[in-house]
Amino acid sequence: MGIVVENVTKLHQSGYAKLENVNLEVNDGDFSVLLAPTGSGKTTLLRLLAGIEKPSSGKIYFDGVDVTRLSVQKRNIAMVYQQFVNYPSFTIYENIASPLRVAKTKVSEKEIDKQVRSNADLLGISHILDHLPQEVSGGQQQRTALARALCKGTKYVFLDEPLANLDYKLREELRSELKLIFREKGGALVYATPEPVDALGMASHVGFMHEGKILQYGPVKDVYHNPEFVEVGEYFSYPTMNILEGHKVEEEGRLFIKVTDQFKVDVSHLHETLKKDTYYLGIHAHMVTTNRESDSMFEIDGTVQLSEAVGSDTELHVDHRGKNIIVLMQELVSYGIGETMKLYLDPERFYVFDTDTHKLCAKTVNGG
Amino acid sequence: MATIQLKDIWHSYDIEEGKTENPQYAVEDINVTYENGSAVALLGPSGCGKTTLLKIISGLTTPTKGQVLFDGKDVTELSAKERHIAQVFQFPVVYDSMNVYGNIAFPLANDGVDSATIRKRVYEVAEIMEISSLLKVPAGKLNPADKQKVSLGRGIVRPNTAAVLLDEPLTVIDPKAQWGLRRKLKQVQKELNFTMIYVTHDQHEALTFAEEVTVMQVGKIDQTGTPKDLHEDPQSTFIGYFIGSPGMNMMECSVDESGTVKFNGTSFNISKKRASSLLEHGDEFTFGIRPEYIKFGLEKSKNAVSGVVKLVEDTGAYKIVTTTLDTLDVKSRAPETMEVNEGDVAWLSFPEEEVKFYKDGKKVI
Repeated sequence: MGIVVENVTKLHQSGYAKLENVNLEVNDGDFSVLLAPTGSGKTTLLRLLAGIEKPSSGKIYFDGVDVTRLSVQKRNIAMVYQQFVNYPSFTIYENIASPLRVAKTKVSEKEIDKQVRSNADLLGISHILDHLPQEVSGGQQQRTALARALCKGTKYVFLDEPLANLDYKLREELRSELKLIFREKGGALVYATPEPVDALGMASHVGFMHEGKILQYGPVKDVYHNPEFVEVGEYFSYPTMNILEGHKVEEEGRLFIKVTDQFKVDVSHLHETLKKDTYYLGIHAHMVTTNRESDSMFEIDGTVQLSEAVGSDTELHVDHRGKNIIVLMQELVSYGIGETMKLYLDPERFYVFDTDTHKLCAKTVNGG
Repeated sequence: MATIQLKDIWHSYDIEEGKTENPQYAVEDINVTYENGSAVALLGPSGCGKTTLLKIISGLTTPTKGQVLFDGKDVTELSAKERHIAQVFQFPVVYDSMNVYGNIAFPLANDGVDSATIRKRVYEVAEIMEISSLLKVPAGKLNPADKQKVSLGRGIVRPNTAAVLLDEPLTVIDPKAQWGLRRKLKQVQKELNFTMIYVTHDQHEALTFAEEVTVMQVGKIDQTGTPKDLHEDPQSTFIGYFIGSPGMNMMECSVDESGTVKFNGTSFNISKKRASSLLEHGDEFTFGIRPEYIKFGLEKSKNAVSGVVKLVEDTGAYKIVTTTLDTLDVKSRAPETMEVNEGDVAWLSFPEEEVKFYKDGKKVI
């Protein structure tokens, strides 16, 4: 049981497709993230799922029932938006209770009280129930909106960038909490966000959207380790995956993809797959290291462009003969701009992408 | 460029408005020196007094008490203009109808500098900011990142600029364009050896920009240090929580002279020597340890405490694991390659050198 989106297209008034032929299957129990930069169609898809908008063509099913033409009120869903939507003149308590007050079948005061308190407790806002929204922080207002969505007790919950307006620390905390909170609820959750860390940290499944299409959908680990397109690899990793263009060369009977004289990856075992002259090599930033961790690693030189402390890690932007390489180090270190250094890369950690179609052609090692 | 020194600064808006009875202080007891050519951030939640401090440095506000020194010279009574401070704000301030050249040239033209000198200087600045190709474009047509470069260029066009103050300059910049602007800011700061002070509530921005960060909380400086100092040796529980991602684990504990640290129904050991110096301050503390320093394993080990894995969050490069020890949640890291599942029994050990002890929010040892 779950949500099925079948060949859904949504045209903008001007005729271009905001969504084009989208297919998606979200099963009950899934925490599904729609990941994409702004303007890729994820909010549109969420609005179609909620019934706020209707598709130009295609079908949407909930538990096998066609709901394509059903209004938002009849779909039994809850939605949480990026901007905190609360009733300003209602207390936090009444805000959370509001969906139960307008429910078609009357809910007893006792039941309402139970629901409000248990959901407020889950979201850590029990102590502010008597306050008005403007008296509490932005984080607490968003928690209120989330509690109200949970209070509705609907099977499907849709969240549109719910953490976007919160500061860094709050986002970090709510991210862990949301995963725990929604795990205890049945049904399914669809969550739209431009942040790859949201998907990596919370979701069971992720769909990467690009120009109104879902480029890839699957369990988080599969998509992360097997990005089918350059765009997926680049976007769905933090920091971004390094993508470098290289040419196929034969040297001493071995086949390499060569980025620079120092930067060559042996692809002899892939000679039957790699028929073109040029490919993109992809490698995750945390796979590039500043010391030789195994004998098979090759060394390249570089000049530091920028060294940034990110949380408890360091992100280095290094210039290697005109190519920008991003390195994620799991410690705090400081390098000066212009400092020269050596980087080490494992030839078995690369993805090979087609430069025309951007499709994944091969990985330099199996599994992982 | 100048070394900026704040000496025993106190400021009260109440006193400024004439309310001298029980005045509230927006900032108090501020003593800090920013060396010439340093990249500094003023970091803290909203309402912590960082904007007040910024205004005191720029000369928009005269402090109730204390001195502002630039290169040892008292500038407390000087106006912003007389201090030669350049400012870049959240929203880029450009003259939309003028082209980029006119925007950058504006301060010099105002000063009555001759046009040949202006021309030379504008070209230099545009080159540094990598906006030479945009000089003829009306500033109103630029994207926010380029507008912000123009703001900065105009700020530094006067050769005698003493310092550049940046007030959350990346707020309106598209995340993808932020990297380029951050690099530019750092590069300009380094190459021209500018003193740059960056004000933000965003720890991420502060740590990525600055070599030295001043963290403020309710009007006071909590700690000034490099990102590494703040990370490895937080002087308060607030810094422990605020810096680092996720923040430091904090646990209430009691210590005895044998070196046993009891917390949450379990215990681990520290050296007797350390225990005895702790005991000079009492026997109840909060101890803190960062997630990345906890040794996490799925097999029993010496001096380790056990709990049940509650949550596993992936970051791609590694896992963040939340383990419940009785009633307490502790976060630690696990390698990406390690198979960890929710419900697993985990063993955590706390390397002594990474454990810090706090009392009333302040570090003891």
